[in-house]
Amino acid sequence: MKKFLQNKKLLSACIAVILAFTIIGGSVGLRNRRDTPLIIQSFGNDVVAVGSRIIDFPLSFVSGSLNNVHDLLNTQDENNYLKSKVTDLEQTKARNSSLEDENKQLKSALKVKNTLTDYNIIQASVISRSPDSWTDLLVINKGTTSGLRKNMAVMSGGGIIGRLIEVNAATAKVELITTSDKSANRFAVEAQAVNGKKVHGIITVIGNKTLAFTQAVDSEKLKRGAKIYTSGLGGNSPKGLLVGTISTTTHDTFGLSDLIKINPAGELNDPSVVSVIKRKVND
Amino acid sequence: MKSLRKFSLVLALYIALAISGSLSLFFHRFFLIGNATNLLVPVSMMLIALFDDTNHKEIWLAFGTGIVSDIYFLGIIGVYTISLPIICWLLQKTARFLPEVFWARILAVLTASILIEGYTWLIMNITGLTIISSMKLVKSILPTLCWAFIFASVTYKLWWNLAVNYPFMVNIDNYQQ
Repeated sequence: MKKFLQNKKLLSACIAVILAFTIIGGSVGLRNRRDTPLIIQSFGNDVVAVGSRIIDFPLSFVSGSLNNVHDLLNTQDENNYLKSKVTDLEQTKARNSSLEDENKQLKSALKVKNTLTDYNIIQASVISRSPDSWTDLLVINKGTTSGLRKNMAVMSGGGIIGRLIEVNAATAKVELITTSDKSANRFAVEAQAVNGKKVHGIITVIGNKTLAFTQAVDSEKLKRGAKIYTSGLGGNSPKGLLVGTISTTTHDTFGLSDLIKINPAGELNDPSVVSVIKRKVND
Repeated sequence: MKSLRKFSLVLALYIALAISGSLSLFFHRFFLIGNATNLLVPVSMMLIALFDDTNHKEIWLAFGTGIVSDIYFLGIIGVYTISLPIICWLLQKTARFLPEVFWARILAVLTASILIEGYTWLIMNITGLTIISSMKLVKSILPTLCWAFIFASVTYKLWWNLAVNYPFMVNIDNYQQ
């Protein structure tokens, strides 16, 4: 022990390692606990975001051109699909409008103000993405000044893609729903079973970024193709946001419990514009 | 204005950081092939360390770049904050024995890229930010090295020019008279 303490290089190395792990552990704890990051951290994020916005302009032009070519090649298929949907759309819109009016009237009659299905949408653009494909983090160009708060749900392409994990003054970080982060706040969801009853559970990630519907009681009653929506019971997201559809229902490797895999509905690969969902009902 | 020249590398790394985030966003589909990591900022720092191996102040530049990278991309401090200064120091030591040719430096950069990739994987798994199997790490190394090679080749001349003519926190006029 005396020899160890006299060896200054070894002692310094040990102190450095302990210090490094303390910093890492502290910052991870801080990220999970705090609603807003430290002022210096928030300032740093917003300063880099300014540069990102400037760089994004020419890059989005190049990327947009490549995507346009890709879209052009898929035009015929998309056109055929959309044609089949157009007739349904008008009918759905009309029905939706009348149901909304009826819902409002019923709420006012019952003196109900906001329910779990009420929310506001804040549009934002994605300005950056984490450099490694493991962490699944996006940076968007809206922050606390636009009314964003930690843990709000984020949608893109018609479905949920993740949740806000850090909100700065002018930017925010979105953790994608496919993250394998152990401390990630998972979505409470529900789906309609074949007998018409609702099955509740949560979304977890299994294997290679595959989403699964877990902790469900009557999971065997769920069939392939059933849509999964948020239940609003998690305390952060409103009810009725589309998460995905059930792709397969199998058993886990032990053959004991059901394994329900989900095809995510949101655009997880290339989300350039996102909608942040602000729940009206307070926690 | 002349006194600001010694901070040229800071500005250049800031731009590299912004470009790195934008490249990851717009070319995500390409990086997804083999789950490659975009190491533009670490590769830039490695090249600076190799070109200006006698300037010990560059470890502080690596430290600052690491902190900003960490808080902007990951939201935690400790991944690049620790790996960049260590890699910078190691490469500065190595540069003394390394032939001053393109291929030797590229080889050093690629080796250091493997170390950074491994360290990032280790920290991510320890902290639980991501759970990635060691097999996935092994599979991602080759695509990551391909990208690191592209970044190093494309930016080689730029960093050489900046590191030699505008070293960090060094007033070059004192040496040019």
